[in-house]
Amino acid sequence: MRLLLIEDEEKVSRFIVKGLAAERFAVDVAADGDRGLELAQTYSYDLIILDLMLPGLSGTEVLRLVRGQNEHVPVLVLTARDAINDKVEHFEIGADDYLTKPFAFAELLVRVKALLRRGAVSRANTLRVADLEIDRLTQQVRRGGQRIDLTGKEYALLEYLMTNAGRVLSRTMIIEHVWDQSFDGATNIVDVYVRHLRNKIDEPFERKLIRTVRGVGYAIGEEAL
Amino acid sequence: MNTRSIRFRLTVWYAGLLAGMLVLFGASVYLGLSHYLEWTLKETLSQQAKQIGESWLGEVGVSGESYVAEEINEHFSPKVNGRFVRITRGDGSVMYLSDEPESKRFDPSRVPTLNAQTDRESLREEHLTADSELMIFAMPFTAKDNGRYVIEVGASNQEIERVLHGLLFAIAIGLPVVVAMAIAGGYLLMRRALRPVDEITQSAERITSRNLGERLPVAETGDEIERLSVGLNRMIARLDESFQHVNRFSADASHELRTPLTILRGELEAAAQQGQITPELRETLGSALEETERLSRIVESLMAISRLDAGEARVELAHFDLAELTSGTTEQMRLLAEDKDIALRCESEQQVRVEGDRARLKQVIVNLVDNAIKYTPAGGLVGVKVSASNGRAVIEVNDNGVGIPPEALPHIFERFYRVDKARSRQMGGAGLGLSIIKAIVTAHGGQVKVESVEGKGSRFLVELPVAGKTSE
Repeated sequence: MRLLLIEDEEKVSRFIVKGLAAERFAVDVAADGDRGLELAQTYSYDLIILDLMLPGLSGTEVLRLVRGQNEHVPVLVLTARDAINDKVEHFEIGADDYLTKPFAFAELLVRVKALLRRGAVSRANTLRVADLEIDRLTQQVRRGGQRIDLTGKEYALLEYLMTNAGRVLSRTMIIEHVWDQSFDGATNIVDVYVRHLRNKIDEPFERKLIRTVRGVGYAIGEEAL
Repeated sequence: MNTRSIRFRLTVWYAGLLAGMLVLFGASVYLGLSHYLEWTLKETLSQQAKQIGESWLGEVGVSGESYVAEEINEHFSPKVNGRFVRITRGDGSVMYLSDEPESKRFDPSRVPTLNAQTDRESLREEHLTADSELMIFAMPFTAKDNGRYVIEVGASNQEIERVLHGLLFAIAIGLPVVVAMAIAGGYLLMRRALRPVDEITQSAERITSRNLGERLPVAETGDEIERLSVGLNRMIARLDESFQHVNRFSADASHELRTPLTILRGELEAAAQQGQITPELRETLGSALEETERLSRIVESLMAISRLDAGEARVELAHFDLAELTSGTTEQMRLLAEDKDIALRCESEQQVRVEGDRARLKQVIVNLVDNAIKYTPAGGLVGVKVSASNGRAVIEVNDNGVGIPPEALPHIFERFYRVDKARSRQMGGAGLGLSIIKAIVTAHGGQVKVESVEGKGSRFLVELPVAGKTSE
């Protein structure tokens, strides 16, 4: 998988490249719009991560020109502006996803992976982490063969954690996925639900599956990261 | 009527001035006229006395006293004209005395006699009866035969009194009428002159920090009112500019903070992901990440508030049922309340349709309910109610928690204001939640109210305009 990152802030591109490289992506970096467009038109990338505020050619123009030539390459837009008008405008030009700075790297990673497997996702009906198993059709949860009853929100939270097993999910990501943006920032609703979920799926068992990653969020998995 | 209004005060002032001036004028007319009339009467009397002396009494030695009497009666007919005429000889005896006038105003025979030896002209008034007064001019006269006489000519001054009474009557009736007309006319004129001021006041009342782009009406009359509204408009323009400046500043500042925050967060996360770090370092990095997240949240909130203040909030307008949104949202937060052993009750029986940004209004409900749960101790009660009355949709969130001290109440919607600094920081707030609520509600044309008794609980009321029935 080869990605193109068009981002003028050197430090931002450095940690993105580092993080993506750790996930075995090959990343090319362009520090301005003109260079970015040149690369995008020369090579065939699987995904483009595009910052909007660029010296030279602006991100919006790059997006328009890239779309004019290649309709299929997924483009993830990064921006420090998040006025909803902006968002709508860029989706219309052809952005596939939109991430507002500052973001957690985990969020970027989840979105990148989602964009890459879009279209060819095999959504398995059964998700499994260690001896924990959920059936997405019946929404049944079993651990060690033992059935566990969850409320709707608890199930949604667990399913989200398990589809991203082994990956840390930030509170913001969990809130936006399981609830909606209105809950962001104000409440500790994620922590409360995670605690309740733990009481049901981890408390009775010796091996704990849900982990708290301080300052980042929660993850489910067999091993510590 | 507002007794302190300029209109009232000016009217009273000039009505008072006008009345005072009219009283002064009336008094001077009255005094002047009475002096003039008395002077005229005196002139007439003295001329008649002189005429009696020079025409007839001078020749008395030749023509005889009865001739003088006849001439006087013929020329002056005192009986008809109400004149008093008396000629006294030097020895004090009366030579001629006019008859009682037909009007019976006075009895000539009862007029006291004068010292016949007088050698000076004099004017005196004689009160004969209570309502009758005589003005008498007396003049010593020496006839050609050296006989000495005193000629007295008098007239009742009742005529003068009557004229003066008439004048007084006219003034007493006319003055209040004129003053009343002046008050009424002046009041109407003032109203006309001050109507633009009323209009300016009403327009000015409508202008708040949210619609500083509006201006007051300017009537191009070239008068003081036009100058006033132009001056006020310039002031509003300056206010507008500085408000925009502040808004731009906080938007720019939060915008500029985003890139460094992104880097900080990315670097810290990358560092925390490394396998070979000590647990202490992991803890430190985690703590730094938590603070970065809090900082990001503050920047987000500030950005949101400045955008709301700039009027960019209501972008996704929709008609929806506020009662349903509220009960749904409250339901989603039930676990938060149960977790603290707080009873959460939501009453919203009928539909309350509003027009607005559903996600933002949901944020308002989440913030209010979350606050209520945060500041209510275990075992407490949080109530949520949606109702509609008088064209206003009302969300009420009440609790029986810690409440807000009275001195803090006016400030709780201010940015970064914290009632209890230590406590709210521990709860992770930045003092922006209520500012956001207020900004969202204001952007929807509504208002937020709060009532609270410290130690007893708080009650927050969000009022929004109800959506028109036709657009449902």
